[in-house]
Amino acid sequence: MLARLTPDMMRIIAAYAAAVALFVIGAFVHPGFASFPSVTSILLVASFVGLVAAGQCFVILIGGIDLSVPWVLNAAAILLATSSLGQDSRALYAIALTLGMGALVGAANGVLIVWFGVPAVVMTLAMNGIVEGLALGLSGGMTCAACASYAPPVVAAAVHGVFLGVPAALWLWLIVVLVVSFVLSFTRFGRATYAIGNNPRAAFLAGVNVNLTTVFLYVLSGVFSALAGILLVGFGGQASLGMGDPYLFQSIAAVVIGGVSILGGRGSYLGAAAGAVSLTALVSVLLALNMPEYGRSIIYGVVILALLLLYGREQRE
Amino acid sequence: MPPESSAVGEARAHAAGTRRPRAAHVIGQNIGLILAASILLLSVVVFVGMFVLEQHRLPGNFEITSTVNNTMPLALAAIGQTVVVLTRGIDLSVGGVVDLTNALAAIYLPGSEAHMALVAALVVLVGAAAGLVNGLVVGLGRLQPIVVTLATLSIFQGLAIRVLPQPGGTVPGVVTDILVNTGGPFALLFLVLAALGWMALRRSRIGVQIFAVGNDEQAAIAHGINAVRTKIIAYTIGGALYALAGLFFAANATSGDATGGNVYTLTSIVATVLGGVSLFGGRGSAIGAMCGAFITTMIVNILFYAHIDPLYQSFYEGLFLVIAVVLGAAIGRLVRRGAS
Repeated sequence: MLARLTPDMMRIIAAYAAAVALFVIGAFVHPGFASFPSVTSILLVASFVGLVAAGQCFVILIGGIDLSVPWVLNAAAILLATSSLGQDSRALYAIALTLGMGALVGAANGVLIVWFGVPAVVMTLAMNGIVEGLALGLSGGMTCAACASYAPPVVAAAVHGVFLGVPAALWLWLIVVLVVSFVLSFTRFGRATYAIGNNPRAAFLAGVNVNLTTVFLYVLSGVFSALAGILLVGFGGQASLGMGDPYLFQSIAAVVIGGVSILGGRGSYLGAAAGAVSLTALVSVLLALNMPEYGRSIIYGVVILALLLLYGREQRE
Repeated sequence: MPPESSAVGEARAHAAGTRRPRAAHVIGQNIGLILAASILLLSVVVFVGMFVLEQHRLPGNFEITSTVNNTMPLALAAIGQTVVVLTRGIDLSVGGVVDLTNALAAIYLPGSEAHMALVAALVVLVGAAAGLVNGLVVGLGRLQPIVVTLATLSIFQGLAIRVLPQPGGTVPGVVTDILVNTGGPFALLFLVLAALGWMALRRSRIGVQIFAVGNDEQAAIAHGINAVRTKIIAYTIGGALYALAGLFFAANATSGDATGGNVYTLTSIVATVLGGVSLFGGRGSAIGAMCGAFITTMIVNILFYAHIDPLYQSFYEGLFLVIAVVLGAAIGRLVRRGAS
C-alpha cells in the first residue's frame, strides 16, 4: 500500500503525521493540550499562518518567493482599522479597499518581476520596504487619530464567532484549503502554475500565458497577506506596528515543511496547511513546557532542519 | 580585477572566430562592479552637495569617520554574503551569526591584551563554525540554501539570546580604538585588506571553484571540482566574515545586543545586489558588494539632509533598490550587446 504512494503524497502524509505527533506529545507534557478548546485555539492561530502560506505557496510553486508579506499584512491591518473607523457600516468598504491594496502591491511585484526582470527575492524585499515606509509615513508612525480604531464588530465576530462549535475563522480557512487545492489540482490555471514551476519555457511552448499567470500569482499572494491582516485585526482588536514580522519566516517554513519544493513545480497547499499546523503546534508545545525564548528559537530551527533532512532533500542527479 | 568568467567569454569569442577588443571585453564582464562604483560616486556627490548647501562647509573628518565606521559591519557582512551568493546560494543566517558573535564579544572580550586577541580570534572561529554548519547541511544534505539558512538563523538567534539575554556587556576601549577609531577613517584600512584578500581568493584555486560551481554546478563537477567541498568552504568563509561584522558592530556600540544584528540578513542581500553581484551565482565581486554597503549608508545620509521624514526612510530605500536594479540590468544588457 505504502509503496504505491508517490513521494509527493508521502511528504503530505509526513507533514500531517508531524502535526498529530506534536499534539500527542503536547498531551503528554501538558494535560488538556489535546482537548477540543485547546486544539481549536491552536488551529485558529495556525489559520493566520496558513492563509499567508496560501499566497506564499502559489509563488513558491513557480519558483518565486514573496518577502513583502510582513508589511503587506501590517499595512492591511492598519488600513482596515483606519478606513473602517470601527464602524460596521464601513466594514465592507474597508475590507474591499484593504484586499484591493494587497492585490495592487502583488500586481506591482508581479509586473516588475515579469517585465523588468527583477529577481523575485530583490523585488519583494524592496516592496516590503516600500510598503513599510508608506504605512509608517502615512500613519505618522501609528500616531494618527484613526490608527487607534478597533476592528468593526462584524470583522471581530467573523474571527471569534463560533459556528457549529468551531471558530468562524477556521471555517474560512477550511474553505480556502478546499478552494486552493481544487484550483491547483483541477483547473487550467492550477496546471499552468505547476507547468511554469517545472519549466517556464516548456510551459510557454505549451501555450501557457506565463507572464500573466505569474503576475496573477503574485496578486494572489498580496491578497492572502491582506486577508490575514484583516483577520488578525479582528482577532486582536487593533492594529500594531510589527505585527506582520513573524509571518514571513513562518509562511515560508510552513510551505517548505509541507513538502513544496522551494525550486517550484512540486507540492500542494494541503501539505503547506499541515506545515502551518505543525509549526504552530510545535510553538504551543514549547510554550506549554515553559521553554524560555532562546530554547524555543533553537528547537524551532532544529526541528525545521530535521524535517527538511527527513524528506526535503533533492534527488541525487 | 580579472574579467569574470573570462574563460567562457573567450571561448565564445574564439568559437565565433573573432576576439573582442580587450577594453570592451573587460567593461562587459565587470559591468556590475562598474555600475556599483558609479552609483556610489553619484551618491557621494549628491550627499556632499546637500551637505554643503546645509552646513556651508565640506564634510569633515567627523562625518567621514562616522560614515565609514557605521558601514563597516555591513560591508563585511556583504562580502560574506557575496562569497555565498557566488556559489548560487543565499545566506539568511547572517543576522543570527552577527547577533551571536556580537553577544560573545561583548561578554568575553574584557581582559588583558592577550586575552582580548584570543577572544577576538575565537569569536571569528565561532562565526566560521556557524558557516561550516550551514555549508555542511547545504552541501551534504542536498537542501536548498534559503530554507537551511532560514532554520539556522533561528538556531543562531536562540544561541545569541542564551549568551546575552539583555543588551549589555562591554567592549574594551582598546578594541574600539583598533577597529573603529573615532579619530579618523582608519577602518578603511581593514576594507583595503579585505579587498586584497578578495583578490587573492579570486585568483586562488578555491576562488575559481566557487565561481565555477555558481556558474554551472554540473559542468564544474564534470571538470573534477568537488562542488560539496567548495560550498562548505564558501559558507565557512561567509560565517567568518559575519563574525568580523559582529565584532565591528560590538566595537561601534561599545556593548552587545543579541538582536541588534538581525537587520544584517536583509541589508547584506541589498548591499550585495546593489554591488552588482548576480543572485543567480557565478558573477560579481566583493569589491562591488563593499560599494553596495556604502551606497546604502549614503542613501540614509542623503535622506537625512533632504529632511525626509525618517518614517518614510524604508520607502525611499526600497524604491531606490528597485530603480537601481532595473536600470542596472538595462544598462548591463546595452553594454553587453554593444561589446559583442
